Amino acid sequence: MDNGNPLKALRFHCGRSALGAALLATLAVASASAAEGTLVVAVNQEPQDLAAQGAYKEINAPGLRNVVETLIAADPVSGAFKGILATDWEVVDDTTVRMSLREGVSFHDGTPFNAESAAHAVNFVWSADNAFTIQEYGGPGTITATPTGEHSIEIVSSEPDPLLEFRLSLNGISSMKQIEDNPAAHFDTPIGTGPYKFVEWVPGQYWSAEFNPDWWGLSADDAYGTGEPAFQELRFVFRPEDGARAAMAQSGEAQLAMFPSPSDCAAADGASGYKCVAGPSDTYLYGRLDHSLYAPEFLRDPRVREAVFLAIDVPSLTEVIGLASVPPGQLGPAGTVGFNPAVQAYPYDPARAMELMAAAEADGVDVDSVRIEVVGRDTTPQISTIVEAIGGMLNAVGIDTDVKVQVPQAFNPRVRIAGYANEPGRQMMQVHVRQNPAGDFGITLLANYACPDEDNPTGPSRSSVYCDREFDAKLFEALASVGPRRNQLLQELVKYVHDRHLVVPLALLDRAYLIDSDLEFTFGPDHRIQAAYIVRNE
Amino acid sequence: MRHLLYRLLHSAVLLLATVSFVFFAGRSIGDPALNILGVNATEQALETLRANIGLNDPLPVQYVRFIGGALTGDFGVSYRFGFSVLPAEVLRDGLGKPVLPLVLDRLPATFFLAGAAMSVAIAFALAMGIAAALWPRSAIDRIVTVLSLAGVSVVQFWLGLMLIVLFGVTLGWFPTTGYGGLEYVVLPALTLAARPMGRIAQVVRSAMLDELAKPYVTAAKAKGASDARIVLVHGLKNAAIPIVTITGDELSALLTGAILVETVFAWPGIGLLLIDSLNRGDLPMVQAGICVVAALVIAVNFLVDVAYTVLDPKVRFKEAGP
Repeated sequence: MDNGNPLKALRFHCGRSALGAALLATLAVASASAAEGTLVVAVNQEPQDLAAQGAYKEINAPGLRNVVETLIAADPVSGAFKGILATDWEVVDDTTVRMSLREGVSFHDGTPFNAESAAHAVNFVWSADNAFTIQEYGGPGTITATPTGEHSIEIVSSEPDPLLEFRLSLNGISSMKQIEDNPAAHFDTPIGTGPYKFVEWVPGQYWSAEFNPDWWGLSADDAYGTGEPAFQELRFVFRPEDGARAAMAQSGEAQLAMFPSPSDCAAADGASGYKCVAGPSDTYLYGRLDHSLYAPEFLRDPRVREAVFLAIDVPSLTEVIGLASVPPGQLGPAGTVGFNPAVQAYPYDPARAMELMAAAEADGVDVDSVRIEVVGRDTTPQISTIVEAIGGMLNAVGIDTDVKVQVPQAFNPRVRIAGYANEPGRQMMQVHVRQNPAGDFGITLLANYACPDEDNPTGPSRSSVYCDREFDAKLFEALASVGPRRNQLLQELVKYVHDRHLVVPLALLDRAYLIDSDLEFTFGPDHRIQAAYIVRNE
Repeated sequence: MRHLLYRLLHSAVLLLATVSFVFFAGRSIGDPALNILGVNATEQALETLRANIGLNDPLPVQYVRFIGGALTGDFGVSYRFGFSVLPAEVLRDGLGKPVLPLVLDRLPATFFLAGAAMSVAIAFALAMGIAAALWPRSAIDRIVTVLSLAGVSVVQFWLGLMLIVLFGVTLGWFPTTGYGGLEYVVLPALTLAARPMGRIAQVVRSAMLDELAKPYVTAAKAKGASDARIVLVHGLKNAAIPIVTITGDELSALLTGAILVETVFAWPGIGLLLIDSLNRGDLPMVQAGICVVAALVIAVNFLVDVAYTVLDPKVRFKEAGP
């Protein structure tokens, strides 16, 4: 079922790799094979826990969606929402979605999946009291689910929420019995409905799951992926070092290794036994300059700001990063709601940058005081190289810089309004990453450019360094709109941001895998590792 | 005995100083409440948690509470690793999984690795050092010198990756990383053994050269003692003091060096746990881990002191007085 979701184009864009085609070509062959052997996946970190709510973001607990399924999910190839535990659904209005649930499905503990258990799982995961991290993708209202029949539920947002469907695609569904009887076990012994049943989690080493012969997908015509997983066992081994993960793939100890370095990926060219596959993610690297709230006057001059952005050679920067591509002039690909084709990327034009600075100086702008603090967070891959390169590019056009890489404890408070207010006169360009999994510019614009509430430093715009009431008025109108009107308003706002030189997109980050040559793996921009989408070449 | 009591008291003061440092350093690296609840928590939730887990108390009060807890093995609950209760309960009641058992669970793996590495280091160091002392300024001596210097100088991170590439990927003799049977310990143990092997070999060579030049060796030869007996029984025993000293030092260094090696080889010991906890901002886990490692290092040093009294009669006589 395709409800015209805005993700479709985004995901289709990302599914441009040959992997999707390879999967489709091999599905027929693979579906005839029985589950056998072990798929060892070298992942980059040990999960914090394996609670069902963690299924919203793959990096939280790689592989969890093999055990815990969702009601609907984005198809990795088409990007359209596809029924998983829901067979059909209707977006009734801005606040309500009604779903028909799959019948004959059981959780791995034998309890039935029905409207009561589904509603319980939705309410549990989105409960504000539970304070799960999925709240980072929460909407403007509170999400609650109510059974409307034995196999039908109604999900309601207390406020209009055009992205309610998207949020439901993140919602892991786990056993109601476990949550009620033994909530502590919910965190380390996931009980879902997926094609694999959780077996064990050995701290510091791995977690594993075994093929579920009772999986509903084996007998359903509309199952996702191959419909019959190819492996008897899954084992997710924790290898924080890039080199260790790559070595496991190279030696054949792992059939899949997450996120190799660009050099390890390049080394796979011509290697025997394994290969590197890469695809775009929904993560952008950007540079954002301090602006109207506390920035010094000279930094608010549009010529100075434009000069800073024109001085950055973005294509060269993506080459330095590796496994990245040149982004459009906005923090989302074509197809994102609000994408404005008229907004072009900043060209690399150092001569023009120097002209702009000279013109500003001639008009009395104190350009001699410009000293941009280029700051990155140490969790961003290759951030030292990136900020050094940007610093060098700015220096080349005569703009002084300070280059820093900070740990999250130092960096995070500085990119919040509370921290910014403590540093008046700051000239910071934060070099940071932003995901746009919803395929909609509304969330990004609200977070980064709406007027922050300095009395409520944990509000949705806490990371904004910008305040313009005219912008806010249009933004809130856009957020309350749907369809073409929403798209049009967001497009105007994207251009508004660009024209004021608030942010420069630096790279669209790819993610890569080293994988056994005999396997094909299909993934979307959310990069979920699901065995149902991994097939053997026959 | 007085000497040992003094050393025991010295160790206790050192441990208290270390625990105190851990407490104050921990308070300077960010807001624990923010680490627990994450960046999306509301200010009200953060404030509630700060109050519930005592972060709003004056620092001296927190310090006394921390020291009291540490003395009874209570380092608090994990902020982010292995939640065992709902985040809401952490928020409301300050509940969670106690960190000390999680840290102690990792000790056997670290002991296994450290033990294997030290065994390898001592075996090679003794053989190399003795050989170099028996044939000073020979080719063997020069080779031993080069190897021991290389062992001391090599960067463990680099050596570990090289061993993985050579023996794990290229030759396929050993698993590249991970934890399991004896085959898994070979590469991390060799990596970790390089430095102590080099340092101990240098000391063995030097001490044995001194001993083999002493008159009692000439006397033993005159009495017809075999070369093996002279070297391994008489010479090595008398050279034991500096060797035990350096071995104790290196065992302490080994425990801290294991942090890096465990990360490279994904060895599930206390080092890997510490790094993981640091990355996650899990302050109680980090505090407990550092305190446990510090206690082990201090304990090793104390045992070395005990060994002195056994091996060196001068220490015992000095204690007994004139």
